[in-house]
Amino acid sequence: MDQNNPVNKLLDLLCFTPAGVIALVVLFVLPLFPPFNQEYLLRWLISAAFIAALAVAFDFTAGFISIVNFGYAAIMGLGGYTSAILADRIGLTPWFGMLAGGLLSGFLGFVIGAVTLRLRGIFAACLAWFFGLALMGLATKMVWLTRGPLGMRVDRLFETQSNLPYYYLCLTMMVAIYIICKWCTRTKMGLAFKAIGQNMEAARTSGINPIFYRLVNFTLSCALGGWMGGFYAHYYGILTPDMMHTSKTVEVLAVAYIGGRGSLWGGAAIAFPFIFAMELVRSSLTNLPGLNLLLYGLLLILVMIYYPGGFAEFFDTYVRKPKNRMMDYFLNGAYGAAK
Amino acid sequence: MVEQVEKRIWERVSKWSRTAAGMAVILTVVVAVAATLDRGGYVLVNTVVTGGMLALVAMGLALVFGVMNIPMFAHGEYFMIGSLTAYYVFTPINNYITMNPDSSLVFLGPLITIVAAMIVGALVGVASEVLVFSQLRKRSRENWVMNSFLLTVGLSVVLINAHQLFFGADFKGITRYWAGMPISIMDVFISRDRAMSFTLAAIVVVVFWFFMTYTRTGRAIRAVSQDENGALMVGIGLKGILMLTMSLSCSLAAIAGASLLFMYPAYPSVGLEPLYMAWFVVILAGLGNVLGAVMGAFMVALLKVLTIEYIGSGWDFVVPSALIIVVLIFKPSGIFGSEVRGVLDK
Repeated sequence: MDQNNPVNKLLDLLCFTPAGVIALVVLFVLPLFPPFNQEYLLRWLISAAFIAALAVAFDFTAGFISIVNFGYAAIMGLGGYTSAILADRIGLTPWFGMLAGGLLSGFLGFVIGAVTLRLRGIFAACLAWFFGLALMGLATKMVWLTRGPLGMRVDRLFETQSNLPYYYLCLTMMVAIYIICKWCTRTKMGLAFKAIGQNMEAARTSGINPIFYRLVNFTLSCALGGWMGGFYAHYYGILTPDMMHTSKTVEVLAVAYIGGRGSLWGGAAIAFPFIFAMELVRSSLTNLPGLNLLLYGLLLILVMIYYPGGFAEFFDTYVRKPKNRMMDYFLNGAYGAAK
Repeated sequence: MVEQVEKRIWERVSKWSRTAAGMAVILTVVVAVAATLDRGGYVLVNTVVTGGMLALVAMGLALVFGVMNIPMFAHGEYFMIGSLTAYYVFTPINNYITMNPDSSLVFLGPLITIVAAMIVGALVGVASEVLVFSQLRKRSRENWVMNSFLLTVGLSVVLINAHQLFFGADFKGITRYWAGMPISIMDVFISRDRAMSFTLAAIVVVVFWFFMTYTRTGRAIRAVSQDENGALMVGIGLKGILMLTMSLSCSLAAIAGASLLFMYPAYPSVGLEPLYMAWFVVILAGLGNVLGAVMGAFMVALLKVLTIEYIGSGWDFVVPSALIIVVLIFKPSGIFGSEVRGVLDK
């Protein structure tokens, strides 16, 4: 449609297609209508938004420079603990605490990125994983600081009993993370990330400095994870080292890959129906514990074997190329999907 | 003449001791001896028993990576399958033993259990190769390492939760395999189960080494690990070799799970700790290096025992992982190196 329309320009600046905006608006008004205005459904929505935000930030590393940050949950936990401890000890307001947690996690991401610079692929993933295991061990054993497995009580962010403000905050954070990641990846930097991810030697020969880009990528992705960790701490109100467990990373990883690697929006889009289905299975079939996670793993295996591109690739191939110009505008925006 | 030979051997030893591998091995031995003198023989015994079983798990992991190029995240689950099988096989045998304490099953029963676990582990290995990995291999070969890694993550989640779904989440354990007085060596009492499990591990490692070095099949496996296309060209059936590798490595993990049932009862996520430890070993020794994994297993076991001994339990993830990170910074390919992606070659 009209490329000079200010609305289109704004949408393009925010990296949204009209379809994306409508999906977002639906998510925003969803809790106002039954049955989603019940508190337990709202909690599912929040956990879905939380996983979605993490999946976007995770995909920023996994989908672009092809390194699975296997200690991601621990990095998120570091952000959460930092924020909680700052609030507890020096009474810093959680809003700044969350940012501080993000900064510290970003710093750790920088360190991990620096240490794994010479390693590739699976070695880097393992090293990040060992960092995660070490962090989780520290959180368990430094009882004087974190209260260990007993759990640390954290002040919640809002004074109300309702979960509604948390939902809106989480959704806003998700959108912010998406926009930040998208801004980074649609500049030259995104191209450089992809080049490094596909073939480091070739990227280096064409003049891309892998050190700089890998460090930037790791730092940013971990900082965003830490920020979300702060939200986790102040939303649940209790922190245990369990939140840093590898299985939490696997949860995020599964959503990110089923959603589609390298797409950023795929993970966020798939998280809502996916988490809902899982919670539904878990709560309706209580006599079959573990069934929901079994399905989870099966789905991951099936997607990896039969459709490695995930939901995003499916959407891009079959839905996103309509004949109708109106539909095309709706799905791809005024500037085309290439953006 | 003799002097010359002696001199040459000495030269080789001194050269070896200046490499990273030599330094690491010597350092391990020195630290182990020092700790034993300081705290008593049980440090050494614990290290050797833990290391022996860890060697089995890590060897399987290294083998799968070396031959099939799969970074296996579900390896702990084969350990879990081994211990689960052992529980269900040993419980009736144990009942029979309590009825007839004089039967020959008193000694043979546990061995039958472990063999059964080995067979089940091998079968599950074949099943996962046929159902999962060969399917991925048929469809895509690009970015294989990362994709297969994610596949094994999914497999691990499935196996853990299948256990919970079908067998329940409770602890299914036994008190002991072999009854009787503990054996005493150097004033240290070792329970018969521990002594037997170490003996078993040693036997399995030696048999495995002979198999890989001197049999045609073993050589074929090594050939595939070095060069897949070359192996195909000289007429090695790739499919069969890959399946065999998978079942071998899974049965190794299952043997470890079964023989450690008296220490680790079977429950859904029992495999996680051996998995972490085996990954420590494999990364420390160099991915795909099977003999290195055996040495590395003892190093990691020593690290773990010393951490628990001197710093306290619960730190046994922090200290080893921190040390391994430091080692990796200076030697990214592992102590024993894996530039040559061989299985048993150096």
